[in-house]
Amino acid sequence: MRVRVENVRFHYRLGEPVLKGVTLDFEGEATAIIGQNGAGKSTLVRLINGLLKPVSGEVRVGDWNTGDFSVARLARRVGLVFQNPNDQVFKSVVRDEVMFGPKNLGMSGDTALASSREALADVGLEGAMDANPYDLSLAERKLVSIASVVAMNTDVVIFDEPTIAQDYAGVQRIGTLIEKLKARGKLIIAITHDMDFVAEIFPRAVVLRRGEVIIDGSTREVFSRPDLLRDSFVEPPHATQLGQALGLSETVLSVDEAVKGIKGHRSRLGGLAGSDTAHDQQFFQ
Amino acid sequence: MRTISLYVEKESFIHGLDPVTKLWLTASLLIIPFIVGNIESTLVCLGINLALLSVARVIRRIFSILAMSLVLIITLFIIQGMFYGGNRTEAFALGSLVFYREGLRYATLLTLRFFNIISASMVLILTTRPSDLIESLVRRGLSPRIGYVLASVLQIIPMMISNTSTIMDAQRSRGMETEGRLVTRMKAYLPLMAPLVMSSLVATQERAMALEVRAFGARNPKTFLHEEIISRHALPIRVLTSLGLVAAVIWRVIL
Amino acid sequence: MKPEVMVQDLSYRYDDGEEKALDGVSFEVYPGEFLGVVGPNKAGKSTLCQALVGLVPHFFHGNMDGRVVAGGIDTRETTVDELSKTVGLVFQNPFTQVTGAKLTVYEEIAFGLENIGLPRDEITRRVDEMIALFGLEHVRHHNPFELSGGQMQRMAIASIMALRPRIVALDEPTSQLDPQGSAEVFQAVAALRNQGLTVIMAEQKVEKIARYADRVLLMHKGKVAACDRPEVVFSRDNLLDLGIRPPAYTSVARELDLRRPDGTLPVTLDDAVALLRNSSVNS
Ligand SMILES: Nc1ncnc2c1ncn2[C@@H]1O[C@H](COP(=O)(O)OP(=O)(O)OP(=O)(O)O)[C@@H](O)[C@H]1O
Ligand SMILES: Nc1ncnc2c1ncn2[C@@H]1O[C@H](COP(=O)(O)OP(=O)(O)OP(=O)(O)O)[C@@H](O)[C@H]1O
Ligand SMILES: [Mg+2]
Ligand SMILES: [Mg+2]
Repeated sequence: MRVRVENVRFHYRLGEPVLKGVTLDFEGEATAIIGQNGAGKSTLVRLINGLLKPVSGEVRVGDWNTGDFSVARLARRVGLVFQNPNDQVFKSVVRDEVMFGPKNLGMSGDTALASSREALADVGLEGAMDANPYDLSLAERKLVSIASVVAMNTDVVIFDEPTIAQDYAGVQRIGTLIEKLKARGKLIIAITHDMDFVAEIFPRAVVLRRGEVIIDGSTREVFSRPDLLRDSFVEPPHATQLGQALGLSETVLSVDEAVKGIKGHRSRLGGLAGSDTAHDQQFFQ
Repeated sequence: MRTISLYVEKESFIHGLDPVTKLWLTASLLIIPFIVGNIESTLVCLGINLALLSVARVIRRIFSILAMSLVLIITLFIIQGMFYGGNRTEAFALGSLVFYREGLRYATLLTLRFFNIISASMVLILTTRPSDLIESLVRRGLSPRIGYVLASVLQIIPMMISNTSTIMDAQRSRGMETEGRLVTRMKAYLPLMAPLVMSSLVATQERAMALEVRAFGARNPKTFLHEEIISRHALPIRVLTSLGLVAAVIWRVIL
Repeated sequence: MKPEVMVQDLSYRYDDGEEKALDGVSFEVYPGEFLGVVGPNKAGKSTLCQALVGLVPHFFHGNMDGRVVAGGIDTRETTVDELSKTVGLVFQNPFTQVTGAKLTVYEEIAFGLENIGLPRDEITRRVDEMIALFGLEHVRHHNPFELSGGQMQRMAIASIMALRPRIVALDEPTSQLDPQGSAEVFQAVAALRNQGLTVIMAEQKVEKIARYADRVLLMHKGKVAACDRPEVVFSRDNLLDLGIRPPAYTSVARELDLRRPDGTLPVTLDDAVALLRNSSVNS
């Protein structure tokens, strides 16, 4: 499924534009949306799932213009995980919460249950089926809200800050889940402030600044522009920062790449300069 | 986010009075007609209230409120005019429906009282920020806890209402039809009550802790961030209203 | 030096808890020190923070053993509002920290100061100072509920810091901030530390903790798994088993077998870069 955002403008209050003519085309690739607090990221994804309608311009999900469909209809194509799980979770049993979407979309009881079981297992909460979401911790409630949307099995899945409150294992689990959805051909869009996570999972990144797209490209390209990123209150992943501080010629995105890059750099320069330590001093300047 | 308040921000002599003086004024003008008991005193108080409202340049607001109560007032005239217990003298008849003087007079009194109550309260409500009123009362010994509850309710209720729409957004986003016919909308609203209460309770407990660590329970005297400004008109007004009250009581006892 | 915070064999079980949230926790924090607290979800970080200000055991009615002494006060022998003059706590969720009774950011930050009865001019001075320090100038007159998540989080920190506690516990205070915003909060806290503040901060952002903390307390299932300088704690090779990952710089250094003179791995960017530059000289 393809999602197209065409020259979309939006404001909540007249005279305070939040999106100032955004054009984006999503197809196939998993995309991360990054940018400073208040840049308009959550607003953008609420426009894609139809909760908000553009003031001008249009949003198309496949061949549907969001303006022509109710949010409930659009939910057949787009699933959105809210930023704050407390805004999303409203049933008093996890099982009901996760099955709510699948049932509304018309899945049979058995299919809905199977789909919900799988989604809960994917976030590591298979044991929490009968728990009350309000007895769970914030981190777990976020996982329930993710499972509730994934269980709907929509073609487009959007995550608004999926890793909030998660520890390392939680972040890994969410990463694995997104990889699995990618492999199934889902269109994935995610908002996050965790740049290590972006580098690990998303081939494409879009940087939003005060309602405008300022960079849109492969994650590697985007993170090679520390100057532009700084203006957007974003910093590259930690491994990338290390590479840049050392002046590696390629932008590295992970610990492994950084290690390879440094080894390569050493042997390349080392090879050229032999073992002359005077030259070696200039390896990393 | 708005708080529940009808306060109209304007510059005026009435706006400049401190909340307690206004409370005093409102209460007296509201009670005096009841103590005295006749139509004339009600008319006088109503006149004063309307004058105060126009000085404060908020009188237009009250017309819309009074207009909204028109149906209520007409009903009052019909019922009292026909069925008031003291009805003796026929005033006029519409076909077989007979209206009596005593009933119509009583309905007039009730209507004027009603107008007076509304306009007296509006003198206070339209010209005073609720938070200022609460703070003034806390300064004069109202328990800060009660003051906090009053002030926070004014903000937290609108927040709960916005929570309702958030939860409906959550439901719509997962395929539940909440738009369209009334029945559909009602069906969407009902299941909201439980989660609303739940999330409010969780938030309340956490908020209570957050208040504790900001010394809310401290027993020392509190400071008030804003200095209370008592205008020079406050004293004469309080004296006048007190005299009015005393006069009303004397009138009641002697006559 | 006398410790500013002393936690001795602290155990705690919530009323409805099956296991102990804290289990024999002991450590000390010295005046002006920054102690980072790391650990996976449910390790007990929030419970520990709440114990430092006396909410555990005064607010929750669970079972507490052991002792917490903060700024010379035994938390069990005093009340939370008395303690709040010495120890501050910034909670994990900024939203529920808004009092709901104040109409502007300015008044919200002043709330605690009114409660402790400071003179009015002192209140205005402190509030202005906090607004500047936490970059809240342009929202000073906004309604506290109309802020973005990040601004709300800054306001929550400012509200506590305005009370000038000797000790402050911060529970994941930058979870909703963009990278620049969270860097600013760490810098602001560091600035206050120079005035003698003792800081205890729970955080998932290990790179930031490695850079700013003097020591790191690693928690796991309610117990202290380690408490030492960042380079010592993050150089341990069983970190993943304890539910946290080392800073990225540390992982790179481990792969390259790049160690500091004392045998630990570098944990900050500057440290890693310096070591790499040196190593290329010696290799
Ligand atoms: N319901 C609303 N009413 C009015 N203004 C709003 C509303 N929601 C968001 N805004 C404003 O719109 C702007 C964009 O908000 P949005 O939530 O899209 O930001 P974001 O990029 O998701 O930020 P964050 O990283 O903090 O989640 C902000 O300035 C915010 O204050
Ligand atoms: N109010 C409570 N009532 C009962 N049990 C609780 C309560 N709060 C926490 N617990 C339990 O205490 C243990 C420690 O929780 P705590 O919140 O201190 O962990 P944490 O390290 O802060 O986790 P997180 O990273 O998710 O914030 C957990 O097992 C948790 O379920
Ligand atoms: Mg957002
Ligand atoms: Mg916690």
